[in-house]
Amino acid sequence: MYKNLQPATGDINYIQKFKPNFNNALYKAEIDVVGHHLSGLLLIKTLPDSTVRMVFSNEMGFKFFDFEFKQNGDFNALYVVKQMDKKPVMKTLKKDFELILLLRKDTQTSYLRKDGNSLYYIFPKQKGSFCYITDLGGSEMKTMEISSPHKPIVQAIMKNYTDGIPDTIGITHTNFNFTIGLKKIER
Amino acid sequence: MRKIILVLSILLSGLTAKPQLTGYTPIADLPKFKEQFAVIAKKTETIKSDFTQEKNLSMLSEKIVSKGKFWFKKDNLLRMEYTKPYQYLMILNKDNMYIKDGQKENKVSTKSNKLFQQINKITIDCVQGTVFSNPDFITKVYENKSTYLVELSPIGKALKEFFKSINVIIDKSDYEVTTIEMNENSGDNTIIRFTNREINTIIPDAIFAIK
Repeated sequence: MYKNLQPATGDINYIQKFKPNFNNALYKAEIDVVGHHLSGLLLIKTLPDSTVRMVFSNEMGFKFFDFEFKQNGDFNALYVVKQMDKKPVMKTLKKDFELILLLRKDTQTSYLRKDGNSLYYIFPKQKGSFCYITDLGGSEMKTMEISSPHKPIVQAIMKNYTDGIPDTIGITHTNFNFTIGLKKIER
Repeated sequence: MRKIILVLSILLSGLTAKPQLTGYTPIADLPKFKEQFAVIAKKTETIKSDFTQEKNLSMLSEKIVSKGKFWFKKDNLLRMEYTKPYQYLMILNKDNMYIKDGQKENKVSTKSNKLFQQINKITIDCVQGTVFSNPDFITKVYENKSTYLVELSPIGKALKEFFKSINVIIDKSDYEVTTIEMNENSGDNTIIRFTNREINTIIPDAIFAIK
């Protein structure tokens, strides 16, 4: 769906500068999954081997999930509460978090595009692509998208970085009611 | 109320305690414990307390600490007001639950079977003590010098998925619950400690009102 944009030159790896440094961050999290509202605390921690762990539990300590994202792209759900352990839900959460973790690396298929306002860092996947959109100067990440061949199906923002950690993260699905909102908490 | 239920569950459980927990031995005088517990439970009309909740993530060596205030009144009235790390209010009034999270308010009938709401209910049951009446638990009682420990092990498939065990620690001096430990199969746990307890102070029903 980005094919009609103008070709652009540059280093596709430049986008990695926006990769969040989730050394150890705690967020107030709200996840709405088709009619179900989950709220609680999401801990994101990077282990010494660069594996990123995400643990989501409710205010009373009840764990919903514990995910592991390896640097080589492997994903493991170390724990998922039974009610949430549905293939479409898991697939969606995995992709959404992969998007904000900027796990897609340069490949032979990735490419850059631009229009009058923005640069597009595009990482094709089997059907569609992951796309990171910055201003033309590359100083600001405007939005992140997962797209089908025809339209964006997930849109996400990360803003107000402090020491590489965004204060606010928002993920919205355009094709069904699934949103994730994260607000950083000082511990 | 919670103590009465605990006593009943102990009476019905067919006690076969074996030493398992560090520093604890199977209770020497179980009838005395049951009797005293029943007496105190009968006398306890209200509990007002502070609480500290620790979520321990064993593999990550992380601890998430929350704090707040706790009110309980017979029967089945419970208010937990989290003040850290952020404001979060939960009221259980008989069969209804009210949650206020920032500006968002949510009312739920605990009779309903909606997905995830049951998860909250289990947590509340643990805090309130009504989880003791669940026939899916095997109950064992241990003691050390200053406390009793009631270990609840789930038998039911659903609860086994959530908990390896729930330990309820009771002060020997006054038979009040001081700590609830919810142990997960992963080795993670959640520990709620009650401090500054006030027993049988007057708590107006309005504290538990769901508007």
